[in-house]
Order: sequence, then structure tokens, then C-alpha cells
Amino acid sequence: MASEGESRVRVLQGTLDLMILRTLQTMGPQHAYGIATRLEQVSEESLKLNQGTLYPALVRLEQEGCIKGSWAKTPSNREAKFYAITRTGKKALDRETVRWRQIAGLVERVLAEPE
Amino acid sequence: MQALRRIFAKFVNLFRRRRADTEFDAELDAHLGLMQEELHRRGMAREAAQREARVKLGGVEQARELHRQARGFHWLETLAQDVRFALRTLRKNSGFTAVAVLTLALGIGGTTAIFTLVQQVMLRSLPVAQPQQLWRVGDAVQCCFSNGYTQGDGKWLPLNDWSLFSWEAYKLFRADTPAFENLAAFEVGEHNAGLAVRRAGSQAAVEPRIGEYVSGNFFETFGVSAWRGHLFTDADDREGAPQVAVMSYHTWEGEYGSDPSVIGLTYDLNGHPFTIIGVGPPGFLGAKIDADGGTPDFWLPLTTEPLIAGPTTQLKNPRLAWLDLIGRVQPGVNPKTLEAQIQVELHEWLASHVPDMTLQEKKLWEKQTLRLVPGGAGVSLMRQTYENGLRLLMLAALCVLMVACANIANLLLARGLRSRHQTAVCVALGASRARLVRKALVESVTLSVLGAVAGIGVAYAGAKLILRLAFESPDNWIPVNATPSTVVLLFALGVSLVTGIVFGMAPAWMTSHAEPVEALRGSNRITGRSRGICGAAGAQKTLVIVQAALSLVLLTGAALLGESLWNMEHSNYGFDTSGRYLVSIDPKISNYTQQQLEPLFNEIETRLRAIPGVRAVGAVLEAPQVGWVPGHDIRIDGRPEADGSSGWTRVTPGFFDTVGEKILMGRAITDDDNAATRPVAVVNEAFAKKFFNGENPVGQHFGPLPEKNEGMYEIVGVVRDIDFAGGVQPMYFLPEAQATQFDELESESREVWSHYLYNVVIWAPGNPPNIEAQVKSALAAAAPDLVTGGSQPYSEVIRGHFSQENMIASLTWLFGGVGLVLAAVGLYGVTAYGVEQRTSEIGVRMALGANRSSIFRMVIGEGMSLALIGIGIGIASAVVLGRFLRSELFGIAVTDPFTFAAVALGFALVALAACYLPARRAMRVDPVSAMRCE
Repeated sequence: MASEGESRVRVLQGTLDLMILRTLQTMGPQHAYGIATRLEQVSEESLKLNQGTLYPALVRLEQEGCIKGSWAKTPSNREAKFYAITRTGKKALDRETVRWRQIAGLVERVLAEPE
Repeated sequence: MQALRRIFAKFVNLFRRRRADTEFDAELDAHLGLMQEELHRRGMAREAAQREARVKLGGVEQARELHRQARGFHWLETLAQDVRFALRTLRKNSGFTAVAVLTLALGIGGTTAIFTLVQQVMLRSLPVAQPQQLWRVGDAVQCCFSNGYTQGDGKWLPLNDWSLFSWEAYKLFRADTPAFENLAAFEVGEHNAGLAVRRAGSQAAVEPRIGEYVSGNFFETFGVSAWRGHLFTDADDREGAPQVAVMSYHTWEGEYGSDPSVIGLTYDLNGHPFTIIGVGPPGFLGAKIDADGGTPDFWLPLTTEPLIAGPTTQLKNPRLAWLDLIGRVQPGVNPKTLEAQIQVELHEWLASHVPDMTLQEKKLWEKQTLRLVPGGAGVSLMRQTYENGLRLLMLAALCVLMVACANIANLLLARGLRSRHQTAVCVALGASRARLVRKALVESVTLSVLGAVAGIGVAYAGAKLILRLAFESPDNWIPVNATPSTVVLLFALGVSLVTGIVFGMAPAWMTSHAEPVEALRGSNRITGRSRGICGAAGAQKTLVIVQAALSLVLLTGAALLGESLWNMEHSNYGFDTSGRYLVSIDPKISNYTQQQLEPLFNEIETRLRAIPGVRAVGAVLEAPQVGWVPGHDIRIDGRPEADGSSGWTRVTPGFFDTVGEKILMGRAITDDDNAATRPVAVVNEAFAKKFFNGENPVGQHFGPLPEKNEGMYEIVGVVRDIDFAGGVQPMYFLPEAQATQFDELESESREVWSHYLYNVVIWAPGNPPNIEAQVKSALAAAAPDLVTGGSQPYSEVIRGHFSQENMIASLTWLFGGVGLVLAAVGLYGVTAYGVEQRTSEIGVRMALGANRSSIFRMVIGEGMSLALIGIGIGIASAVVLGRFLRSELFGIAVTDPFTFAAVALGFALVALAACYLPARRAMRVDPVSAMRCE
């Protein structure tokens, strides 16, 4: 899913969904290329996505009703599928954010233990 | 909730595969386009941008595949792909497919045919409400009445099998056991009320029908309701109540054309008017299932029995157990507690009859007990009769199925070896082994499902054949049919899945061991050294050995059963059946009074004797090998120490001459033994031996117990033994023309019914033409009102007894034959394949000086060694499996060495023939051309 370089981050199972939802919440409806670009920007290039792998996550989220895709024109007048976060998606995002912070905090505390 | 939504979305995607693919392609296109635009805007050349965009997106095919996996049921879609591929492959190899499907159809069809019957005979519940709430009091399935206060002596019959009850005991149980919501009673086993039926006031000939006495709450207990009219209740089962009867749906439909006006009409049943108040529900045939006694046409309340039976009534005789009991248990009652309570009730009832008991009964009654068993399947005599046979056939069918599986596994292995190169290429190109194994298994399961579809046809035909061979007779309808039910179809599908996996396992295993390097080697040459090949060849040999062993087991079983059947059909009953004919009549239901009987038999015999070719005619209560022999304890005059049990029957004077029973001492019964002369009896040798140590008994007296009857009959003669039923036993013969008085109710009733003789035997040697039609018209002339069952050559009667054995033996032969052919084909296939693969090796051997006969011997030797190992294993298995056969065999040991040797020899000859062709081909290999192929 992620490339193997040391400086690059391996995406944990499920965290990609979380990041996609967050991206859509802050940026509004986006096509897959937009989402991928945004994720790369935010991660300051440390997350190198094989962009094709974004799609299974999008299918999953759409099937769960967290996002909704619809075809629309880009400013450059090209047909693209735009994904928007739904109410279900917002709720899921809130829930998962809390959980992520709990887990991250917990892992952080454990790692911070002096030897 | 989200998970559910996702499953639904995936499900929808199953049906919009193509559209989803197109849409995704458009999405990818847009993605690439957007990225390209961006890169171009940043200053990259258009072509470089195009390249860079593709790199950043990654593999398009891979993305597509991942997308497909995410959006649908991936495994289901690839499964569908595999099935389509399998069907395509099978269509291309139509010859292989035809052979495999045919083999499987035989294997699966045979198994399914047997299962069709097993399901109906052994696994089916009664078509009633909540059958799981029904419990039966007593567990033994009895054919016949039981007389006395014990139903087991701990030796011949176990003590804990009390299963039949008198009316008195039934009423007591019913009143004292509130744990039963309802307790119903119905006539036991093969005993039914023989009825002669016609519309009241009609002069038409009476029609013989079957009646069954059941308690008033019978229908209520089983929770069935009337199809038409209404069913009788306790209110109708009272002495003095108007006489009513319920007709079975089957009879109403079959005999009365579903005529609704039948309900409410009055019919004469054996001369007594009964109103038909209703028709039972379709499919309901009562609570006992009997293949021999027939299914009831009419149900009659228990209390009408004295009316129909007249002086032979058994209703109020507490000694006579003739009712089976099934009750509906109240919810929440523990069957164990209920069983204990019923056991106590049985003992209390027995205790109240101690004064009426015989000495023997007094010793045993306290040890008698009974069991409560699930009653939802009713009391099935049919199951008891056919259980062992069906189990045996199921075993045989499974053996054939396994042989068939082994054959197809062999075919698939051989084919797999040929397409090894392609498999190796697939592996080299990155196909996952799991997918390859699955593909192989899907192919074999597809094959076996096709086999099952064809097998259902075989099953239907097979089940019909079995029914015709063993169950059906023209005048005896039974509730079993050959049409496959849903359960049977599911069974066939299940069997096909299992077999598909079983015979697909070896080829799949081989596929999974394909070495990609073989693809690179690029040669189709089989080295015979690499691990995969050795494994496959080993598997093929093992399969052939298994086949040989299984078919040897089948053939041994078939041979033993065949010999046993021959022994049965040719056993010596003490009389010659040739030239003799049996006529069945029923003067009882024809309403003859006792005074009319003697003139009736005189008339019948006179008319029959007048038929050209007839040498002798005699009537008997029940002819040898036709019915049963009643028995009771007797006392020899003045010798109480010799008390013992004897069988007996009643005959007209012509009987002994007719069956050719030789008089050894004294004289036979003559016309002079009649109402005016002293009561006499003729005894058989076994009787003389048992009671008189073989001394001359002529002139001695005896009588049925109690003691006061000891002088009743004078013995006037001794005849040669004849096996009447179940082996020679002491017997005495009484003249039809004499009757004696008894004070005991039961003996008196027996005295009355024993004058109604049911069989006439005719001796007409030399096959006189048209005898059966002449007998029929003679009977019609002698007694137009007499219900008759027609006449039959005696040898046919005897053969008819063994219809089940005949069916089992024939089918086992059939299965054995199919197994043998399949095993021979398997052996031939493996040997021929071996020769084909080793052509060059054989060529080298010959070039080095091996002569042709040694090559021939080598091939034969290798094939035969497989067959011989199979024979060895087969013989050992047959000995082990023999215990399933023991109860079916008559006059032959399970391990009869001659049979084993003959079967093994026969099988070895067939195996030799199977190896001969490939061996001859090997012998004719031309060394030069074989080596040129290298």
C-alpha cells in the first residue's frame, strides 16, 4: 500500500478511511485525484500513495454510506467523480477521531515509559 | 448497520458488474487526465507528464482488480468464473465428460435410489400434528397378538419389551395417566379386520377391504382432522352407540372416485350396517406402517369389534394383548418419569390378574416391564421388515459410489499429468496455488453435480425397480413411492458435493505440486523420476487397489446372498410344491355361519375335484409356508410331567393326500371323523417324539390345558413332518367336521374361529391347461358369496416369500457387476497409461536384449500385483463386513471358503483380461521407433 522507504509512512489498516473522511470534511467535495494530492501535501510528501490503492477505500466508504459520489465538471471542464461526506460519515468521523486519539495517546504513553 | 448496508451494496454490485467496470474506467481516466493537466501546468512536457501520471497512479489492472474485490463478493465472482471455465473445459473434452458423468450417474443414482426408500421407510414421521409430542408405550414391533400375562421369558424374548395391551389394560392406563393429554389404541401389526363391504341393500358382490379397530380418541390424539364429514370420537366408541366408520382418503380417492355422496351413506361391513361419517386427511394411513398386511381402508371404533368378530371377539379378554398404544404427552412432562409411572401401572394391572395366570406366568410376571419410546413415526412393521435389507443395500451403493469416485479420480489424474506443462506455465506466470487447487476442485464438483443431475433419473428408475421387485403386489398398496422428494434431491446434491471433493482431491493435490521449472524445461517428456510424477503414479495405483478391494467385497456379498437365496428357495419343507396350487378364501368375512362351513367345504372340494387333471383337494386353516401356526400348552392324558407346547391346525380329510404327507402309523383323518363320532387328532413325527419319545402314540389321548381337557382328543395316526412355518415343530391336526366344547372363553373362541379354513390346496400334476381360470369358475359356482383371493402355483407362493431377499441379492449382484466393470476399466486404464509412458524404456530394454515374452510378463505382473493386493484387502474387508450379512444369510456361513475362493478367482481372471491388452501392446513395441521418439 505504501512504498518501502524508511522515511515513508506505512498506512495502518483503517487510518486511510479516517484521513479521507477528514479531508472531505475540511475541503468539501473532492475527486480521488484531489484527495490523493491533498493527503500528499499534508503529509509533506512522507506519505507516498500508490494512488490506485485509494479506490478500494473509496468504494468501502461509499458502500457504508459515509461518503457519496456524484459526477460533475472540474474547473478545467473535465468529467470527474466528486465525493462528499454524508451525515453518517460525519458521525463516523467524530467517533473514529475520538477513538484514534485514545489509541494514539495510549500507545504514546506506553512508548514514553522510561526504560 | 453500516456493515449491513455494505453487504447490500455488494449484493447489488453482483448484477451491475459491467457498468461498475465502465464507471471505474471513466474515473481512472479522469484521474489520469487531472494529474496530467497538473503536471503539464507545472511545466512538464505533455508526453513526460503522461508517463509520470501513469507511474504515480500505479498498475491500472491491479487497481481494477482491487476495486472489484472491494465492491463485490469477490470469491463468488471468481467462483462463477471457475465454474464457467470448468464447463467450457468439460464441453471441450466431451468424451471424457460423458464417461465421467455416466459413471457418476450410476454411483450417485444408486445411492440416491436407496436413500429414496430409506427416507420413506426409516426416517419419515407420521403426517400428523406435532409428531415429537407422541410417545409409544412399549418398543417392540409385533406382527401378531400376544396371548397371556407375560410377553417375554428372558430367553427367547427380553423381559422388558412389553408392547401389546388388552382393552382392559388400555382403559386402565388411559384413566390413570394424566401425563398423557390423550392415549390412543389401535390394532397391532398385520392384524386387521378383514371386511367384506357393499352398499346397504345392494345385491352387488361384496368387496374385500381392510378395517382397523382404533380407540375413539385415535384421531384426536394424532391431531388430524376430517377431509370430508367428520371423524369419530370417544362418544362413538361406546357399546350401543350407532355404528360408524371413517374411510381413508386413499380408499375414498382410489375406490370410490372421491365421491362426496359416500359420506353419510350406510354400508354393510360383514353384514352389519355402518354409517360412513367422514374421510380422513390425505396422506394419513393410521399409525402403523405395514408393507405386508396392507393399509386400512376403514377405521372402526374398538367397541364395534364384538359385532364384527362375533363369537371370536377378543375385546373383553384381558389375556389377549392386541392393541398398540401411542399417546400425546402433556407439555413439560419428563418421558423418564412417565415411563416409570407406566411401568408401575403395568405391574398393578398384572397383580390384579395373578389368580388367572398359568404356573409359568406366575413365575415371570413380576419381571415384566416396558419402555416408553418416541412415537412420532408410528409403529412401522415396514421399517422392521426392510431395515436390514436397506442398510445392506445402502452399504453396497456406497461401495459402488466409491469405486466410481476412484475411477474418475484416475481419469482426472491421467488428464492432469498430460496438462502438467500448462499447469506449470500457470504457476510460472504467477497463478496462486490456492486458486489452481480451487479451480481443480470446482471442476470436479461441477462434474459430480452434472453426474447427480443424471443420477436423479437413475435414482427414480432404480427406486421404481426396487419397489416392483420387493414391495408392491397388485392387491397390496403401500405408502412408498419412487418420485424423488426435496429431501432426496438435497441428498443427491450433498452426495455429489462430497464425491466431487473426494475424487477431486488427488488431482488438486497434484496441481498444487506443479513445479514452475518444468515449464522452463520445455519438454513433454516424463522422466519418471521427479517427485510429482512418482506421487501421481502411486496415487493411481492406490486407487486401483481400493477399487479392486471394494468390488471384491461387493461381489463376495452378492455371491453369499445369491447362494443364501438359492438355499431358501430350494429348502426342503417336507413336501413337494410342484404340481400343487394354493387357493385363498375368506369364509369369515363372507359371513358364513359355523353350520354352513362343512357343507361349504364339501361343495368346494367336490367342484374342484371335478376339474380335469386335479388328483386331490384338501382344505386347511392355513397352508404350509403361507401363514402361521397357532400353538398352546397341552397335557397328555395321565402324564402331567410331559406338559409342553404344540402347534396345531385344522384340515379336511383330503389334505394329507393333497400335500403328499405320508401316514407313518395308524390312519389319516377320514370322512367318518365327524360330529357323530369321537373327537380324534392326527399328530406329526415331532409331536410323537416330543411327547412319547418316538413310541407309538396311536390310541393315546391329550387336550389343551387346563388339566380337565386331557382326554379330549384320541390320537389315530402319525404323519411325516412338514415345515408349516419357521421350521418343523410338534403339531396336531383336527378334523374340520368335528367340534368340541370348552369352558374357557379363549379356548372356545379359538375352537370357533379355527373352523374357518383359509386355504384350499389342489394337487394337479403335469401342468393341466388353464387350471387357474377353471378354479375360479368352480369356486364361483360352489359359493357365489365367498370372498376369494385367487389361486397360485405353490412354487410361486414360496418364491413370493423371498421377494425381499431376491431384491437384495439381485441388486447386490447389479452393484457388484457395476463395481467389477469399473474396477476392470480402472486397472486397464492405469496399466495402459503405464505402458504408454514407458514406451521408450521398453524400447531400450528390448534393444538391450529383453525378449518379448519377458516384457509381456513384466506388464502383466505389475497389473496383477495391484489386483492381487486388492483381492487380499478385499477378502479381509469382506470378512470384517460379514457381520452385516449374518442375519441375512440362510444355510451358508459368512466366511464360506468356497465362495471366497470362487469370487477371488473370478475377479483375478477379469483383472488378467484387463491387463492383457496393454501387455500385448507393450510386447509389440518396436524398439527402433520407440527410441527415435527420444
